[in-house]
Order: sequence, then structure tokens, then C-alpha cells
Amino acid sequence: MRVLALAGRRLAASLPSLLIILVGMFLLLQLAPGDTVDALIAQMGGGGDAAVVAELRAFYGLDISVAAQLGNYLWRLVRLDLGFSAIYGKPVSTVIMERLPATLLLMSASLSFAFFFGLLFGVIAARRVNRWPDTVISTLGLVFYATPSFWFGLMAIVLFSVHLQWLPAGGMESIGAGLTGFARLADIASHFVLPTLTLGLIFLAIYLRIMRASMLEVLTLDFVRTARAKGLDETRIITRHVLRNAMLPMVTLIGLQAGTMLGGSVVVESVFSLPGLGRLAYEAVVQRDLNTLLGIVFISALLVILVNFLVDLVYAQLDPRIAKGDG
Amino acid sequence: MDMTRRRALATSAAIAASVNLPHMAFAQETPRRGGTMTVHFATEQRILNPSLQASTGVYIVGGKIQEPLVDLDGAGNPAPCLAESWESTPDGMTITFRLRRGVTWHDGRPFTSADVQFTAMEMWKKILNYGTALQQFLDAVETPDAHTAVFRYSRPMPLNLLLRALPDLGYVSAKHIYEGTDIRQNPANTAPMGTGPFRFVQYERGQFIIAERNPTYWRENLPYLDRIVWRVITDRSAAAAQMEAGQVLYSPFSSLALADLSRLGRDPRFEVTTRGNQGNARTNTLEFNHRNPILADIRVRRAIAHAMNIPFFIENFLGDYAKLGTGPIPSTSPDFYPTGMPQYGFDRALANRMLDEAGHRRGAGGVRFTLRLNPAPWGEDIALFTTFIQQSLQEVGIRVEIVRLDAAGFLRTVYNDWNFDLATGWHQYRNDPAVSTTVWYRSGSPRGAPWTNQFGVVDAELDTIIDGAATELDPTRRKARYEDFVRRANTELPIWMPIEQIFLSAINRRLRNHSNMPRWGSSSWHDLWLAS
Amino acid sequence: MRFFRNYSRSPAAVVGLLLLLVVIGMAATADWFFPQDPLNLAGRPLQWPGANPRFWFGTDNSGRDIAAQIFHGARISLLIGLVATSIAVTVGIVIGAIAGFYGGWVDDVLMRVTEAFQTLPNFLLLLVFVSIFGSELLTVVVAIGAVSWPAPARLTRAEFLSLRSREFVEACRTLGMRDRQIIFREILPNALPPVIVYASVVMAVAILLESALAFLRLSDPNVASWGNLIGLGRDVLRTQWYVSAIPGVAILLTVLAVSLVGQGLNDALNPRLKGR
Repeated sequence: MRVLALAGRRLAASLPSLLIILVGMFLLLQLAPGDTVDALIAQMGGGGDAAVVAELRAFYGLDISVAAQLGNYLWRLVRLDLGFSAIYGKPVSTVIMERLPATLLLMSASLSFAFFFGLLFGVIAARRVNRWPDTVISTLGLVFYATPSFWFGLMAIVLFSVHLQWLPAGGMESIGAGLTGFARLADIASHFVLPTLTLGLIFLAIYLRIMRASMLEVLTLDFVRTARAKGLDETRIITRHVLRNAMLPMVTLIGLQAGTMLGGSVVVESVFSLPGLGRLAYEAVVQRDLNTLLGIVFISALLVILVNFLVDLVYAQLDPRIAKGDG
Repeated sequence: MDMTRRRALATSAAIAASVNLPHMAFAQETPRRGGTMTVHFATEQRILNPSLQASTGVYIVGGKIQEPLVDLDGAGNPAPCLAESWESTPDGMTITFRLRRGVTWHDGRPFTSADVQFTAMEMWKKILNYGTALQQFLDAVETPDAHTAVFRYSRPMPLNLLLRALPDLGYVSAKHIYEGTDIRQNPANTAPMGTGPFRFVQYERGQFIIAERNPTYWRENLPYLDRIVWRVITDRSAAAAQMEAGQVLYSPFSSLALADLSRLGRDPRFEVTTRGNQGNARTNTLEFNHRNPILADIRVRRAIAHAMNIPFFIENFLGDYAKLGTGPIPSTSPDFYPTGMPQYGFDRALANRMLDEAGHRRGAGGVRFTLRLNPAPWGEDIALFTTFIQQSLQEVGIRVEIVRLDAAGFLRTVYNDWNFDLATGWHQYRNDPAVSTTVWYRSGSPRGAPWTNQFGVVDAELDTIIDGAATELDPTRRKARYEDFVRRANTELPIWMPIEQIFLSAINRRLRNHSNMPRWGSSSWHDLWLAS
Repeated sequence: MRFFRNYSRSPAAVVGLLLLLVVIGMAATADWFFPQDPLNLAGRPLQWPGANPRFWFGTDNSGRDIAAQIFHGARISLLIGLVATSIAVTVGIVIGAIAGFYGGWVDDVLMRVTEAFQTLPNFLLLLVFVSIFGSELLTVVVAIGAVSWPAPARLTRAEFLSLRSREFVEACRTLGMRDRQIIFREILPNALPPVIVYASVVMAVAILLESALAFLRLSDPNVASWGNLIGLGRDVLRTQWYVSAIPGVAILLTVLAVSLVGQGLNDALNPRLKGR
């Protein structure tokens, strides 16, 4: 199918970047002071004698040269083997699969939230441009953008979890409650409300601004004036004609922001104790677990490439002129 | 009428609860069976088997599932656990343990001396941190019958040293699980199996661990609880919030922020206490790199000590939860704690004089010289102490630059690369100075071994005292040896240990029988119960 | 002059400029109001704002004057913003210019590298840089600059791609001008405006990135930065929340100011989009 062929081509085109990222990160991490055995000894509180430490280094594969380690890593990667995690003692692919759902859930929820409300408020602001709804929305948007996300997250926990007790203070779901089916979904949803809000608010501000600017630009175009002159209903004009065109920059932005969102999830997952990839990556850096970190980088790069690809597909749908091109 | 009486009762109950009553006040109550204990699990570990890793991070989970040969009683004395009794030959080379009968592993197989032999020789001696040093002269463990284990040493092993160390370093693993496997890779390391009051159920990494009641536990009718759930919460403020929301009942080992601990301590629903942690005392260290010629001068080191107003720091920053340290052995160790040792009181004028005498006059901007300070990246108190060191030393003309590194970077830079001037961290006292205290002072530690003498200090007299004390079999003479050790350590000041602290527990008052022995957080909780 | 008139047509832009001037003012007068080292022990820790007339904003957990740290921290934030942005924009412009001007395999290679940097979550790369090279302020600033250059690079490249086929460039070539002259003297001045405007976004993000690092306790502990204060205040968030709140507001207002000014610049330089 054409879509699959396109996807394949896109992936092939991204391989050089992927390679640069992985090899670059690997070499960069060799410069970090201390290795994963040092991190383990820090956790143990000391007391390991030299023989044990040497054994540990051999156990983690750190006793061979850097070039040999890199070679081994790349050779495993070609066979799609992401290696063994030093922290977890499990294959990296297993570890990532366990942590992926939380991150995917958080990212898609935040993205949907930001996109939907960004669209909505952007349209409202554009329709009432320079009047008070516009000013309020634009100002609020900027305030959300400028607020440090972790600060907002912590304050939200204090207000909603501790004082009001409306929402849980962290975690992904209630442990050992034995919930199933819809009750479980509702439980997980309640755990994700605050994290989604925290991560989504920044992007909401961005989408709001872009949507507003884009709407304003499109509204000045000829075809809109023509439609108005024809006497078409304003709402119809907006929904059938303007939105389609105005949404293009929004959609592009999704692709551009995918990587940033993943980075932002590190802090949000820390504050809300969510078992996601962001926090896993941070742990991997601190504990010098190269295999896990590179695995996450690999997966997130694939994710970004995937999202950009989907964005291009949607783009082609929205603007048929583009589909005629090379896609 | 009814309302006022009820209110009066409620008020008096609140007052009673808010006073830090000893747990004995509730001894009248009958233990309630059932309930789930929820624990704040702050740092995930790579493995959960306490026979392979000796740290509180492992004991908080593994200590409920596996058990040691010897544990501590309420007063801190060795008490029988998997070993019922013990005896040593007069020369200290053979120590015999008679093991408890009728104990089974969670999978039903019987616990025997073969398990002890395997664990001691393959795990304690070869892998367990601190265990390898403790058991380095262990030649063999003989098993004349299924309930006797005879430890044969090639050098005298003081019985009280071994008994004090075994609660931490004496956990037993099942031979039939580990024999013939690669011990480090065995899946039982993250799904532990033991003889303890709770059985492992599930470990969702990044989220929680669950253990449930062991119905075939050797202590009759125990444990009381149905289940224990450890919740992984890495953010301190979030953990405090969960305690207040009742989602977590116990936060161990000072895992909450000091301000939150103070606040919870004043809340009648919670108890914040050092009780139950006396076995986990630690001192804050100020480590000097003697390879820097400035710090090799004893006058400079003493001047630095005199420049710091430790009582002020403790009172204003650490509150009720810390004490003025008097040396490397903390006051929680009455068997070894010496009094009347040389101290360094706050005297800024004296500090300035000593620095002048040492030939370091003030230069431009009032600065005599600059030192780099590497703080250990754990513990809120260390961060506060670090800024306090910087501020105090600035007043006597020493500029301090703080070098921030994460855990792996800190260990490598300080203890392996020796690339530092000052460092500050914790020294954990493990019940006996020979286990993890004297190594900070004795020369000859291999390069890269953290929390040992990596400071370039070679003090022959100190080495002799330390070696003599480690093999001294008579307890009274041993204590005197360690008194000599502290006296010399405080006089020569190769490193300084000015503050003494005990870990704090934050506990929901619904729990009963908590904190009833000096290493309670690490112990098996077989008698813990939850009031409704 | 017409530029200023265009700029001041938007009240939001003017507010932003005023706010920015306040922040710059705080940075400039910090030594005058608070001559002591802001990291000195000033008094008892955790005093509330207003409780002690000496401390306008109270003291933090280490007994340091918060107002002093806010004023001196303004310098640090502006420094971080300016230096990191300069690095990012400079590197971005150079790479984008070369890629856009020469095209072909040069463009391919440079765009692969740019794509690599953009696909990698930038905060993650920042964490790795800080773990390796340490938390000194200069290192942090360079690291932030090093993760922020891709967007200016792409912008510059896009501009160059569209401008290089214009007639005036052809004219320069026939005149025998060297490539370097064409790039820097002819094309770049025309390509700069959108990049300069985007620089305000980079600056805002740079300040937020540093505060996120400080929140994770990975920033320079030897300077009085707002982010460090927030990180400190994390431990006393429930009761002495002002320790985190005040620098949080400072960051918010500064980032707001920078963003508003950037938006104002954008609108002023593109008058046809204004006046709706």
C-alpha cells in the first residue's frame, strides 16, 4: 500500500539521523564521570571490596574498551536487540514496553487537551479580535506559557489532593484495589487529570497563539471575503472553509513539539510519580544505564518520526494541493 | 449536654494523641488482625535480596520476606531469630549456631543448615557489601546436622562483633533457589523468597511492590497484617502529600523534607520520631583531601573546625532532629561511645589566628585561599550543611566553590579520582566501629572504595590502634581500644564528624507496635498491627 | 521612529517592554540595594515576607535574604537568557546559512544533524550534558544554547532558500562577489528579522529550562538564580510556599515580558498583519 511504502521511505530517510543520535549519545556518555557500578555502590552504601567491584564491572560489560562496547551495541541494534538494562536486570525492550503506556497516555492526553482547547480558544480569540475576550484569552495563554510546569504541578497537588482531596496525589492507579473494566479506567483517568493539565497547559498556550494568528491570516484571504459576499452563514464559513486552512500550522506544530513534550514529561512524571519513559530516562542518566537511555532515545526518536509522518498524512488530507506533491 | 461531653472527650483524646506517648500506653489494646500497611518506597533498588546487598533501601522490602540468623531485641541486644542459640570457642576461631527447627521457606521446603552454609560462603563472603570484609577470614561453614552451623575462622572473630553485624549482614537465602545458577542474574533477586512473615507477591517497577501474609510463619499466629504495599514515590513533597491523604502510612529513613517532617510531627494524626532507628545512626562528615598541601596542615583543618558554629546550625536548620557530634562513634552506641574526647568549639577569632599562623594571610577581597567543596547528592541535611560550610568559611577568608555532581559522579570524582579539596556526606554507623567506621581512617584502602580513607591520610599509630581493636576479644578491652581510636581521630582530625543524626520515621498513629527495636524499619514487622 | 510607533500600537507589547525594563532595572541596581553577597547567611531561616522589616520577601531555608536573591537573580536570568540565546542563534544562523546557501550534499548533511538534534528530546540532551560537564553556570548556559540551535537554523535555512534565487543575489554573483560576502552582507540582513523575533522565544525557553534544571537540583549552587530558589523551596512547599512562589512569579513575569516584547517586535516588523 502506498502509505506503507511512504512510511518505509520516510524511515529509511531518517536512519542517518538516528545513527547520529545513538552513536553521538553513546560517545557523549562515555565522558560522564562515574559508571553504572559507581551508581550501584552509591545505592548499596558502600562496603564492596575491590574484587567484588571488578566482578560487577565485568558483569555489566564495562571491562572492555569503549570501541568494543560501541561495536557490540551497534551490532545488537542491527538485530533489533536493545540490550540489557543495568538498573532492572531485564531486557531494555521489556522495560520500555512496561513504561511506554504511561508516557503514551500522558502525551496523547496532553496533546489532545492542548490541541482541542487551543483550537477552541484560538478561534474565539480570533473572532473577537482585539476585544476583551481576545485580550483575556491571549493574556491567560501567555501566563500559562510562562509558568514553570513543575511549580504548577506541585501547587496543583497541594490544592487538589491535599486540601480539597478531589484528586489523587500521584501514581498511575490505586494499588491493590482490584478494580477492573470501567471502574479501573475511571481510576486511571482520575490519576491523569493533574499531570495532563500540567503538561498540557504550556502547549495549550502555544497552540492558542498559533491558531489565533493562523485564523487571523486566513480570515483576510480572498475566498473568505467571497464567501461572505455570497451571504454564507459566518459559522459555516468558519467551520467549512477557514478552519481547514488555519489548522495547517497547528498540525505541523504537533510534529515539531513531539520531542519537546517528551522532554517536558521528565519533570511532570517526577512530580506525579508516573511510571513513564521520561522519568526512566532521568534515572538512566543518573545511574549511567547506557543501554536503557539509548533505548529510550531510540524509541522516542522513532515516535517523533512516526508523529511527523502522521502529521504529513493529515496535512495531505487537509490541503489536497500538497498530496499531489512528493508527500 | 451530649455534644459538649463528646467534644470534651474528643479534645482530651486529641491532646493525649498529640503528646509523644511511648507505645507502651497502648499495650492494653488487643491487636487487630488484618489490614494493609502502605510504605513510602523512595528509591528503587536493583535487587531486593538482603543476602546480596546490605542497605536500608533493600531491608525496607527484603527484611519482611527474608530473615537473619540473629536480630535485635527492643533494647538493642542480639536476639534469636533463625538461630536459636550460639557459642564461641575461647580462641574465637569457631562459632557455632544452633538453628531454629520447624521453619519452612515460602515454597514449603524446610530451612536447614545447608541454606546457611550456602548463603555464608557464596553470598556473604563473596558478594555482600560489608559482608566480604566481615567474613574475609571465614574458612568454612560445617553442617554436622540439619540444624547446626559451625563457622570456622582463620583469625579470631570477636563474638560480639559478629552478633552485632548479623542483623544486617546475616540474612539467609534458599540454597535450592540459588545453587547452580548465576547468583547475580537469578530472577529471585527481584522476586525474593524467604522464611519471613510476609511472602512476595508482585513487583511493578516504578509503581509498587506487594507482599502478603505468610500463613506458615514460624512465629505462632503472626503476623497480624494481611498485606504490605510499598508505593514508589520519588518526589518528597508528593510523598508528604500522600501521607496526609492517608495513602501512605509510613515514610522511613528521613525520606520526607525536614519542613514536612516538622509539620507532620505537630499533626496529631502522625508521629515523627527517631525511635526505632537508633541502629541507623550517622554522622555528617567534613572530609579533607590531604593531597592539597593547604589541608595537609593540621592547623588549617583545626581552624576550619573552629570556624563553624555547629550548635547554631543544628538549632536553626536541623531542629530537634540532630545532635552535636563528638566523634566518629555516635552516642547511640553505648557499648563503644567514649566521653571526654577532644572537641572543636566555635571560635572565629581563634580560627582566623590559626590560619594566619599557618601562613595564609588574607589577600584581595579578604580571601586567603579557595577550596572546592563536593557535597554528596543525597540528603537534605547535606545540602543545608554545604551552604552553611560555604557561608561559615567565607567569614574567615576561605572562599568555597561548590561542585555539584550526581551520585556516580560524586563517588568517582572524590573517592577514585581524588579530584576535590573538601567533601561532605554521611558516615553510616553500623552497630560496631569495625564494620564501617574505622575504614574511614585506616590507611591502605584500595583506590576507588567509597567511604574509606581516600584522603591521603597515613597515620601509623591510628592504624595500629584500629587493627588491635578489630581482633580484641575481651569486650571491655575492646571498648578501651576504641576510646583510644576516637581520641586520636579527634586530635589529628584527618576528617571531621561534627553532627550526629538518627534517621526519622514518619508514622501514622493507627499503626501499633511500631518502632519497638533499634532497626525497626529494616526488621520483619511480624508484630505490627493496624488499629481501625 | 516609525518602528517605535508601530511597536507602541499594541498595549501588550508596551506592557512587556515595561516589565522587561523593571527586570533589567533590578539587575542593574542589585548591588546598590543589596551590596552583600546574596548567598550569605542573613538571618534566621524561613521567615515570612514582612515578618522582619529587614527582609522584604523573607528568608529561605538556608537563612538567605530572598529579596537579595531576586534582585541578583535577575542578572543571572538575563545572563542565561542572553548568552544561551546568542549561542543558539549564532550557531543556528551559521549552520542555516551555509545549508540554505549551498544546498546539495552540504545541506543534506547539515539537515541530518539538525534533524538529529530536533528528534532528540532537548531536555534529555540537556540532562546528559549537565551530568557530564557539571553544573557550573557557564556550562549550563552553553548546554542550553547547544540544545536550542535547531529551530533558528531551520528558520535561517528557509529564509536563505527563498532568498538565494532572487535577482539581487544573481546580480552580486555577476559582479564577482565572493560567497562569504554574499552570505553575510547581502542575504543575512534580509533573513535576520524572523530569526531575531524567534530569539525571544529561545530566550524565554532558556530561562524556563534553567529553572527546570534547578528544580531537579542540577543547576549551579554558587549563584543566586531564581531556579535555585524554587528548587530550595520545594522542600518547604506546603508551609513556606513563598520561597518557591516568589521566584516562580519572577520567572513568569520575565518570560512574559520577553514573549510580549518578541510578539510586539513581530507585529511591528510585519505591519501588514497588524491593524486587524
